[in-house]
Amino acid sequence: MRLVHEFSIAEALAAQVLRHAPSTGRVRQVEIRVGALRGLEPEAMNMSWDAVTFDTPLAGSVLLMDQRPWTLTCPACGRVWESPVPFAECTCGETAPRPTAGDELDLISMTVDEGDDEAETEALWAPTSNQEASAQ
Amino acid sequence: MTEPTRSTRIPIVERVLEANDQLAEAVRADLERRRIFAVDIIGAPGSGKTALLEATLRALKGRRRPAVLVGDLATRRDGDRLARWCDQVVQISTGQGCHLEAGQVRDALKEIDLSIVDLLFIENVGNMICPVGFDLGQAAKVGVFAITDGDDKAAKHPYLVQAADVILLNKIDLLPYVPFDRSVFDADVRLLNPTVPILDVSSTTGAGLDAWLEWLYRGSAAAES
Repeated sequence: MRLVHEFSIAEALAAQVLRHAPSTGRVRQVEIRVGALRGLEPEAMNMSWDAVTFDTPLAGSVLLMDQRPWTLTCPACGRVWESPVPFAECTCGETAPRPTAGDELDLISMTVDEGDDEAETEALWAPTSNQEASAQ
Repeated sequence: MTEPTRSTRIPIVERVLEANDQLAEAVRADLERRRIFAVDIIGAPGSGKTALLEATLRALKGRRRPAVLVGDLATRRDGDRLARWCDQVVQISTGQGCHLEAGQVRDALKEIDLSIVDLLFIENVGNMICPVGFDLGQAAKVGVFAITDGDDKAAKHPYLVQAADVILLNKIDLLPYVPFDRSVFDADVRLLNPTVPILDVSSTTGAGLDAWLEWLYRGSAAAES
């Protein structure tokens, strides 16, 4: 299960979200931005997120991934465009446009539901153990 | 009666691996202060990282004072192999972890007498994807690709190619015997990373080791200045 980097990243993300989460309310959605270089698989990331948050106040929250694409620059005609893959032909026939991408991996936002019945009890849950585990 | 649910979007914008990155920065500052040149060696299982390190340590004997941290899933075999060539080897067992993290490096360094070290090799867990995104506090990243893995490995691992400060094309002695189109590999690397040096090496025959050692000496000299 741990043999994917998505799992380590999900662990770090969960600790980070718990650190930022307000003391009341339920975190419903977490939004991250991921550069194409990171090569994060959305499916593996979602599975890891569910597994990591399973018995925490983040259980059931939705992870939203804003995956940034590759930018391809054609050396022949100068066209610049975005692509989900690093290697692609240009419309002008050039076979080797130059791929560039970022390696950003950022927590962008969380969405919190307030007035939730369970909010009171969940606020009592102490996030410290999980934080320490992932900070090691 | 319960209140109606109200949703609030809280903007944050913070790096997810901030905690790891901070530990890595502390490790980097410590190594720089001690003028130790540290390299993070990343490559697939079987790409020959340990054999290459054995050959490198053998060649460095009496010329540099190396130490080695070696990440391995569960066994001590790599550490035992390397300990024959270097007095200061620390094995980091990652359990099921697919990569090393900065905290593990920080802890392992406590078991090394850094006052007698000028070159630190960190052999990461065999994996071309996971380790790349985790800063360990190294001065340089070394990407190890093997001829036997095929000429498409650079294209399939763009993050490693892009992040590498040097690429070692290992098992170069096998080039005549396996299907490996050198021009495909080089073109893919060049597209992703136009300036990275590509050094052909073979730990079996010793071919190309001089250029690799030269690269290490240059990095080591830069760390000392």
